[in-house]
Amino acid sequence: MTVLGVADVLQADVLVKGDACQKNVRHVVASDLMSDVLMVDEEDMLLLTSLASDQVLRTAQIVGAIGVIIVNGKPLPSSMVNVANDLRMTLAICKTPKFEACVAVHEALSPR
Amino acid sequence: MSESPQNVVRADKGADDPPAKGEPLVLLELIQRLKVRDVMTSTLWTVPRSATMHEIQEIMRLKKISGVPVEENGRFFGLVSIEQIIRALGGGYINEPCSKHMTTKLVVLEDDMPLSFALRYFDRYHYGRFPVLDHDQRLVGIICQRDINRALLVELTNELDRLERVTFRTPGEDSAYSVYVLREFPICKYDFENAGKAATQIKQLLQEKKFAPRVIRRIAVAAYELEINLCVHSDGGVLSCQIANGRAEIIARDAGPGIEDVAWACRDGTSTANEWIRSLGFGAGMGLANVKRVSDEFEIASKKGSGTTVKSVIYVEDGKSAAG
Repeated sequence: MTVLGVADVLQADVLVKGDACQKNVRHVVASDLMSDVLMVDEEDMLLLTSLASDQVLRTAQIVGAIGVIIVNGKPLPSSMVNVANDLRMTLAICKTPKFEACVAVHEALSPR
Repeated sequence: MSESPQNVVRADKGADDPPAKGEPLVLLELIQRLKVRDVMTSTLWTVPRSATMHEIQEIMRLKKISGVPVEENGRFFGLVSIEQIIRALGGGYINEPCSKHMTTKLVVLEDDMPLSFALRYFDRYHYGRFPVLDHDQRLVGIICQRDINRALLVELTNELDRLERVTFRTPGEDSAYSVYVLREFPICKYDFENAGKAATQIKQLLQEKKFAPRVIRRIAVAAYELEINLCVHSDGGVLSCQIANGRAEIIARDAGPGIEDVAWACRDGTSTANEWIRSLGFGAGMGLANVKRVSDEFEIASKKGSGTTVKSVIYVEDGKSAAG
């Protein structure tokens, strides 16, 4: 399933469609600690976080993530969409709490 | 009667806008790195409230200045500008005390604000000068646009000198022992607006040079963690990335405050970060440990009260990391 597919599952608003928005998600990380995200060494990773800051996008870009979905409907700083556009990173936001979002994404990505 | 400047507005640090797209990066780095106190004029000609407008006119003429602060025992009361002197001459009250005619509705800057705030306020208020106060509310200087132009010219000349010494070559263009990528980035304390941009640029540069993705990722992670460390824990410093002779060296160098127990700081989960930094998603105590994890060689030298230098080396051979 692509990043846009996952966003659809979470009924998320897609604010920026990045270069890798049609790539299949192979790994999901849910964390509000960017230090933890930087420890993950996986390809085609999607980041779920309730932290809404420019640094989330920069961290995602550094580890080569293919998209970021902000959960819990956190209000975004005005700069975030611009940073996502600059980094060509897919950015979406949903109202689902993080745990429920993880469960929904797990179900959507599990082989049937 | 006790008087003080009425309606003094202190520049709000949170009111800074993001830089416009396309502004030169070197200039942006300079106006973030330089503080108001680095640029302001700190040799001041001040007068007490009892000074007449005529006395101030004479000070302006002799010292070739266009604004005189009114101050007593370090306490700042107001400002008299050359325009007010002209009005006093025309209105026939040039011999009256300045306390009756000085400006007391003032916008002031703090001495530790980045220069970018001062620029923003010149743009917003169209004043010729701003008084500068320290944390104890004492007048420590005045800043005008001429001060900024002079400081930026000096700093830009220094920056150009430095850039001219840096060699840029593409891989394979020269002998295997040449330096072909060398970049340095000044990093400011608590500048979260820009934190991470240096590592992002390093990553983009390596992608343009077509290094292997795994090598790029390790270098980018090391650079990012070190950049955030400089931003969060140091008083500001420099991040550099040099690739030469099959090695990438990422070095973070700062001038303080230093680490008391280096071995403790390098352990997983140890951190001196405060709640605010943690709320931004950092300060989990994984930074240095993570740099070590992605490095083939790792060195740190620090002393409490002086600076810290961290060096991460990642082996690069034909675009591939030896430790993969």
